Amino acid sequence: MAANRLLTSFAATVSIAAMMSGAPALAADEPFSCPIKGGELIVGLEGGTPTLDQMVATSSATRNVAMNIFETLVIRDENMSPAPDLAKSIDVSDDGLTYTFNLRTGVKFHNGKPLTSADVVASFDRYKEIGINRSTLDIVASWSAPDQETFVITLEKAQPTFLENLSSYTVPIVIIPSEEAAKPANEIDPIGTGPFKFVEFVPDSHVKLEAYEDYKPNDALPGLSGFAGHKEACVDTVTFRMLTEAGARMAALETGEIHIAENVPTVSQQRLADTEGVEIVRLKEFALNMGYPNWSAPPTDNLKVRQAMLAALDMEEIMEAATDGAFELNASLQFPGTAYYSEAGGQYYNQADPEKAAELLKEAGYNNEPIVLLTNQQFPNMYNSALVMAAQLQAAGMNAELRVLDWPTALATSEKETEGWNFFYTYWATVTAQGGPNSLRNLADPANVFKPKDNKGPEDFNAAFQDVQSGATIEERSAAFAKAQEIVFEDVMAIPFGIMQSAQGIRTDVENYEPFYNIRVSNVWLKR
Amino acid sequence: MIGYTVSRLLQTIPILILVSLIAFGIIYLIPGDAATVIGGPSATAEDLARIRANLGLDQPLLAQIGHFYVNLLQGDLGRSLMLGIPVTDAVIARSPITISIALYSLVLTIVLGLSTGIVAALNHNRWIDQAATVFALIGVSLPNFWLALVMIVLFSVHLGWLPTGGYVPFTTDPIGWLRTATLPALSLAMLQAGLLTRITRSTMLEVLRQDYIRTARAKGVPEWVVITRHALANTLMPVVTVLGLILSVLLSGSIVIETIFNVPGIGSLLGNAISNRDYPMIQGGLLFVTAALLLLNLVVDILYTWLDPRIRVGGSA
Repeated sequence: MAANRLLTSFAATVSIAAMMSGAPALAADEPFSCPIKGGELIVGLEGGTPTLDQMVATSSATRNVAMNIFETLVIRDENMSPAPDLAKSIDVSDDGLTYTFNLRTGVKFHNGKPLTSADVVASFDRYKEIGINRSTLDIVASWSAPDQETFVITLEKAQPTFLENLSSYTVPIVIIPSEEAAKPANEIDPIGTGPFKFVEFVPDSHVKLEAYEDYKPNDALPGLSGFAGHKEACVDTVTFRMLTEAGARMAALETGEIHIAENVPTVSQQRLADTEGVEIVRLKEFALNMGYPNWSAPPTDNLKVRQAMLAALDMEEIMEAATDGAFELNASLQFPGTAYYSEAGGQYYNQADPEKAAELLKEAGYNNEPIVLLTNQQFPNMYNSALVMAAQLQAAGMNAELRVLDWPTALATSEKETEGWNFFYTYWATVTAQGGPNSLRNLADPANVFKPKDNKGPEDFNAAFQDVQSGATIEERSAAFAKAQEIVFEDVMAIPFGIMQSAQGIRTDVENYEPFYNIRVSNVWLKR
Repeated sequence: MIGYTVSRLLQTIPILILVSLIAFGIIYLIPGDAATVIGGPSATAEDLARIRANLGLDQPLLAQIGHFYVNLLQGDLGRSLMLGIPVTDAVIARSPITISIALYSLVLTIVLGLSTGIVAALNHNRWIDQAATVFALIGVSLPNFWLALVMIVLFSVHLGWLPTGGYVPFTTDPIGWLRTATLPALSLAMLQAGLLTRITRSTMLEVLRQDYIRTARAKGVPEWVVITRHALANTLMPVVTVLGLILSVLLSGSIVIETIFNVPGIGSLLGNAISNRDYPMIQGGLLFVTAALLLLNLVVDILYTWLDPRIRVGGSA
């Protein structure tokens, strides 16, 4: 069987990365080595880690910890392109149906057991059974382990984005020992192959990890890139404390009780930046502030009313309120500079045109029916966006009103009910970061969060979404994405308000820490 | 007394069943379930269906209720949907933490409330009395979560005396426990201390006007004896009455305070269970809190009879 070896070395890794993202190739370098070893690193998380069973958790608070314990076959690098993790190389057959993963040798789990392809099979079996994003594997016909170091996936039909989907880490397919894989959801012992091993988990308090002495780094990249590359545990232990109250988390950073604080509120940033021993680091493109209209409930079942809503919106005002000023306007469902980025349909973004909105309302035959904005106060970006949007819609002649529920209730209402709400607020973080197919998945059949009648979204959009997944090259897929995005704007399937930034606080004795979509503690050391 | 205690304990059984049924009804009436929380904003309907199947939430409500009671009869409160551990284990592990902080807080409440109330009453209409009244007013007016944050800024950030949060078990390190438990306990105590100050002050003032106090003073009994033996003893009765109430408020206040101070007690367990729609954990937490409050009321009633022998439980004086 003729095959293309895609990921064999650092150079090949960069080539696949460049193929997926258009990013320039990096120069090879010496593998990372910790300049200083030892110490106890303490991280203040903004969310409570509910579980360490990564296969059944979408929560960022789980990934923040678990991604330092577990590894996957392929993961995303700094540019969000697929990169090898536990795979040493990947051979793809010419017909695009067979993916052969050659495992890195010498890798051991934290319980001392060597990693074999049997563990990979068991992990994939478990994910297929209970993994939240198991639909990633729907296209897979079978998988097998011909020998201890080889894992083979056979697809039902060729899917050029398969590696992109497989490396998505919203709910990653982490590799665990086969004996753990037989356990039900949330009942595994958190045993992985990563640079840190599990010590203690006290729910609502903390998770403690320690350096795994027998960790076998992946030298495909000389240093940490995204979650890929050469990882090392420079500190002896890492404790993730769950400090959900922002004021208490900031106080802990100020007093030096923690070294890294996740999500620093804008109002605290200047004060902390002026505090001796504290530094603010930023992730400029953290998440898209988003909302969906309800296509089933009047009056937003009327396209003209939806278009009137979009025409009335001043995104700068909404984003200012949603983020306290930490934002970028962005007429796209992707972050600028990424492979799928497009401004198609951007003419409908940030129109701030109440006259046009009034004209569209007239055409729609709008008769002052209530437009219910479904939001919550748990996420300030969602609540503040709704407040400002309500005022803008009212100024354009719409009878907008807020319906404020707690987050689970609001989310369930938007999911199960087709009446009682007209617009729902959310945000996309890793969903956006992980590329076009991931971003559009929620809008395509059968997911279609905007509640189209009979659960059928626009045919042209669904066709474009299929092309995003099946296009042979990134150029073809990007073009399909642009087309799909234009339909999203034209039909008002979703409204992206803008990009929210994220700020994290670190003590100045923390070295080599780079903010990412989740906390990474590999290759981070503490100054003596 | 033994018969009365056994009878009261037996009465708790139907109350606990009723509470669990009401809890079942309320939590299932609220839209949203653990699947929506686990799935997050970007979960598809298919994802949510899968999560519900994993958690057993796709079963009919009556089947879930039946399953719960069958397990309960065997001493099993089920497994937490989010944490994946037995609810009983979680409640047993967390309750000593909350109880230790609540008792510490109760001691602070009594010390602050009683002493301020007595001093205020003895200095009626003087500046000390007015200062105590202002203290009580501030105590009962301020939300405890706000007070908690102010205390963190003052005692941790500016003075550096105490940590901002965390918890060290008393059995591991008593000094560490004192350092981590003081701010949560004080935050909880301030509100109740204000309440107790007002009750103590008004009761004390009334007692000091009684004939037997006047008689004692006329007989030349030293003032400190009048206060401690005659006035204080009679002031304690209404105070004991509110102690049960105070402790129940301290327990319920722990939901917010434990979250702010990163304390893994019953309060944060229950608070997160409600946010996450972790039904078995809500049931288990509520049953524990209800049982604790019923027991507390029983202890207060028994304490009553001990303090005032004139009171006979269930019989005539």
